[in-house]
Amino acid sequence: MLRAIILAGAVGAALAIYFIFSLYVFPQSFQASVKPSRPEALITAVNLSRSDLALGEKLVVSVTGTNRGDRADMQIVSVGFPNFTSPDSIRILQHDFRQRPFTINATDPVGSGYAGTEETVNATYASIEAFSRPWETGSTYTIELEVTPEAEGNFIMVVKAVALPHTWDGAHYPREGTMDYQSEFVDQYSVKVTKP
Amino acid sequence: MSYSRPGSAALAYGTGHKFLAGCVLVSIGILLAAGGGSWDITNHLLNKPETFFAPPHAILYSGVGAAVVGAVLLFSSSKRLGKVVWPAKMAAAGVILLVSAGPVDFVWHSAFGLDGLLSPPHFVLVSGMVLSSMGALAGMAFHKSMSLQNGEPLRLHPALIVIAILPLWLALSGLVDMFTLPFSRTDYFNFDPNPTFAVVFAAIGFPFVIAACLCGASVLAGRRFGAMSITGAAFVVTSMLSAIIPNDALLDTIPFYALNIIPIVAADAILSYRYWRPFRIPVYAAGAIVGITFFMLYYPLIAHTYNEFTNIGRIVWPSVTIPIYFELLATVYPLVVPPAAAMGAVGALAADKIAARNKFL
Repeated sequence: MLRAIILAGAVGAALAIYFIFSLYVFPQSFQASVKPSRPEALITAVNLSRSDLALGEKLVVSVTGTNRGDRADMQIVSVGFPNFTSPDSIRILQHDFRQRPFTINATDPVGSGYAGTEETVNATYASIEAFSRPWETGSTYTIELEVTPEAEGNFIMVVKAVALPHTWDGAHYPREGTMDYQSEFVDQYSVKVTKP
Repeated sequence: MSYSRPGSAALAYGTGHKFLAGCVLVSIGILLAAGGGSWDITNHLLNKPETFFAPPHAILYSGVGAAVVGAVLLFSSSKRLGKVVWPAKMAAAGVILLVSAGPVDFVWHSAFGLDGLLSPPHFVLVSGMVLSSMGALAGMAFHKSMSLQNGEPLRLHPALIVIAILPLWLALSGLVDMFTLPFSRTDYFNFDPNPTFAVVFAAIGFPFVIAACLCGASVLAGRRFGAMSITGAAFVVTSMLSAIIPNDALLDTIPFYALNIIPIVAADAILSYRYWRPFRIPVYAAGAIVGITFFMLYYPLIAHTYNEFTNIGRIVWPSVTIPIYFELLATVYPLVVPPAAAMGAVGALAADKIAARNKFL
């Protein structure tokens, strides 16, 4: 009988210690010590092979991104083409991102406001999303695209970078300026397309 | 040992050892496959690999290879005794499912690209793992039973118990994971479970699996202290290696996760105390205790299941897994304790009834 009581007491004490540590001590400790990571997304270079071209000619676009902050679980370099609704006239020549870039067509649902998929909108134009997952501190990746404008006039490209999870303003680039349909800042580039 | 050909004692003796070796090899193979599969899930979350040739796949398919060799050994040694006993048939059937899942998976990838966690080929694969590990476990018990005298209780060596139970536990956990984790949406198909179904199934399935496996380990050891604790420790270590250590952001939570050995040892002590053995209540209590640890034992992946229900759209990135998990621990865990305790008790009772009465022999 005494042994049974001692055993029951020991088991009870062990379980009490377990639940106190699991449900209180450790959670409190982690809340105090775990700080959100702060990746810093940057576009360090955008190169266009031409500043003007004739209709039917091809344009080569090279975009380089880097992360100057903490490791990002995922960082995206987005190259958007407001003149296109589909990526049919875009070809990826080469890239060194960890994963294969994917394409966005107009009307595809996409995240907005740097909130990932918590808030979505429908895309209004085509874009190429190159990403690395994870994106380590100091790593740099480049994508090179060949683009064939489909009409005369100003051919526009918009470029941005977003690190996820988006924990601070430095996780997106640029940090100010023009906003796209996703309510996210972009840098804008254009070339003149003339008659052939 | 009493086999069906009493005139071939030497043959039976040697064949009996081959039979056991086959069972052990099948179990070890499934352990590697299940462990590799668990690591693969983590690898996909961290690195989104796009190639078949990744280290977790190497471990997984090495395990499949070992299981195939084990099944051949098991089946052939059983046949030599004049009769293919049902554990050998079960293990062989499981391995056939395992092996056939490979080419089906390849065809599926070719047609539909990379698949998610739940897909028809993956379901066949995990079902094969469950079946073959069950067959191996039953085979080990069958092998031992051949040497028992009348009335002697079945008792396996603790090392054999761990080798038999751990792969079955991992495979069953993988089966529950398939229907609870939101990792099955691809370009072509959306096999993600309904979030409500997922949280309910997790609260029922995981406690049942934990309790059935751990209490089964205790019963197979003759309710002696130790085997259950060692099996639990092996699960904790395997999960640490496959789900926590690969993610740098989670390394600080290793002590939190290691604490899970405490309720397992406590349950083992309850079950092994001999003056309580005639009673059912210790079985229910032990099952309930290990059942309610499911939320901690299946960290960190369980955060994805419950996050999908409480905050759909919020992604559980590797770097924010800790705050999201502990938020869920505070808000959701108190609600799932009662069903988890109940299903843990049910699992313990099921294991007690099956294993203690040799129902599988």
